[in-house]
Amino acid sequence: MDTVVRAVGLARRYKMGDTFVNALRGVDLEVTRGEFVALVGPSGSGKSTVLNLVGGLDRPTSGEVWIDDTELSGSDEKTLTRHRRRQVGFVFQSFNLLPRLSAEENVALPLMFSGVPEKERRARARELLERMGLSARLTHRPTQLSGGEQQRVAIARALVGQPIILLADEPTGNLDTTTGVEIMRLLKELNQEHGLTLLVVTHDPEVAAFADRVVRLRDGQVDA
Amino acid sequence: MTLQDLAKTAFGNLGRHKVRTALSAVGVTVGILTIVTMVSLGIGVQREIVQGFQSIGLETIEVRPVTEERTVFDQFADPKRTVIITPELVEELRARDDVVELRPRIFLGEGGMRVYLEVGGETTEVRVSEPVWWDSMNGPFAEPPKLVAGEDIVEGTQGDIVVSTRTLEKLGYKQFDALEGLIGQEVALVLVTPRSERQEFPLRLVGVVDTHTGTNYPGAYVGVGDAAALKAWWYNDPDLLIHEGYDSLTVKATSLNDATQIVALLEERGFQVSSLKTTLDIANKALSIVQTMLGSIGGLALFVAAIGIANTMVMAVYERTREIGILKAVGASPGDIRLLFVAEAALIGLLGGIVGTIVGWLLGLGLNEAFLIYFDYMDVPMRGTFFLVNGWLVALALGFAIVVGLLAGLYPAARAARLDPLEALRRA
Repeated sequence: MDTVVRAVGLARRYKMGDTFVNALRGVDLEVTRGEFVALVGPSGSGKSTVLNLVGGLDRPTSGEVWIDDTELSGSDEKTLTRHRRRQVGFVFQSFNLLPRLSAEENVALPLMFSGVPEKERRARARELLERMGLSARLTHRPTQLSGGEQQRVAIARALVGQPIILLADEPTGNLDTTTGVEIMRLLKELNQEHGLTLLVVTHDPEVAAFADRVVRLRDGQVDA
Repeated sequence: MTLQDLAKTAFGNLGRHKVRTALSAVGVTVGILTIVTMVSLGIGVQREIVQGFQSIGLETIEVRPVTEERTVFDQFADPKRTVIITPELVEELRARDDVVELRPRIFLGEGGMRVYLEVGGETTEVRVSEPVWWDSMNGPFAEPPKLVAGEDIVEGTQGDIVVSTRTLEKLGYKQFDALEGLIGQEVALVLVTPRSERQEFPLRLVGVVDTHTGTNYPGAYVGVGDAAALKAWWYNDPDLLIHEGYDSLTVKATSLNDATQIVALLEERGFQVSSLKTTLDIANKALSIVQTMLGSIGGLALFVAAIGIANTMVMAVYERTREIGILKAVGASPGDIRLLFVAEAALIGLLGGIVGTIVGWLLGLGLNEAFLIYFDYMDVPMRGTFFLVNGWLVALALGFAIVVGLLAGLYPAARAARLDPLEALRRA
């Protein structure tokens, strides 16, 4: 099996005031290519922390994270940047689109940092947005879009760099049930038809039901 | 990120806060405006001086006789010259190959000497000079008076006189279109001593010059021979030229190099010699100092402007923390973030610089006009471009403005680049 993500003994300790909080205490996780994995658990269980470590937004206190053949925990800032740029795509609960940019510009934004020429950037962004069913919304600003539309723009932005894995943190958290289901269907479709590898953090069993496999976390450990 | 992306993004970000950007740029505008105005004044005046001097020629040497130093006891006695410019010296120099032009001069400004001009029975007091006035009497800024009728006095001739329109006005002439009729007329200069002794010098009017701008011009001009005769009568010494020599001698050499040699030769003989080159060097030096001083004032304004820009950028980083987090999450490197903020700061500097340069240039034009009007009003015969904005100044001003913005942006940009992406994303 082709392993995309392999985390070994992942631990993360935060300092909060004078005390330390152990967000993760030795988590092992493997995701194979084309797999759709849901990370579930109550709040504070450390599921978002795992996602951030896999996405290279954070470094573990101990343990290793391998994405393909790159090890992230000991990497320098440059490697982490390259990893975020090329290997992963993030989808957030609050969409995190830049309000002053149009849908198309938001999607094209990551390509600017990889040095893709503007014409090509726009073409790729347009193509993805069309696939998301947003061809009529290209020039709209995020504030002019519904929540579901915003999240689809965000998914398009996460996919534009053709990442190895898509990381989604409560992607339906800010959406109503119907829209949330639509978004999950979209992700599932991307997973099934395009072989996209997905790691989705959620506390919602309905969302987790879309996944091939569910990994439960409790108090910073995998709940067997 | 390409330069084009960078510029576009920076422009877009600044465009979101137009008022704030404009206010931050005002400081740079004031600084650059001051520098451009001041330095353009320096450049303009320097050029006017250089051009003025060059029209006379840097190969020109001014020779003066040496007068005995006075003590308390003989300070009111007639001057005694120890080193004199004799006609022999003039001839000796004239024989040299490296001398192009020689102009011995006699000054007619003796204390108490009153000179009257008599034309057709009318008399008026005049100031008389020998005809060297065109180039040096009123300094390098002066416009030479224009010959409006007849011709100039030919060097070496005697018995000719040129008068000014101002003098003719005093004599009651109002119609200047009839000037040609005056040419060739017999007139006279009358010298009167304090003891009312009179001497008449008959002369022939050969030309009229227009001296309506400026009061510094003499009312009449005679050749050096006539000037010597007038002075000889005044001092009651027919051999005055042999005893006292000329009052000054202007030597024009073939080249700057020859001029330097002639200066050395004359200095060795004890003359007071000054060449325009030495004067110009001093003038240039003085101007550079003034320019530096004035430029520093603008520099100070720019320093304050830099602090303003830094403040704006620190605020921007704080406000856009979440945006920085998003950019990092989608693959922006710390270097990209730093570049973005430095570019914005530099752009504020550039915008301020552009406005400052334009306003500074316009201010220079306005001040120049005001100067000319004032000079006109005060009858100062000065003309010219005293504020000069050239390509170099524009490039320098804009470059400086950019650098100021850039430096001001370094710290805020470094802060933005250092932000932890996770914490930045958590910020509301």
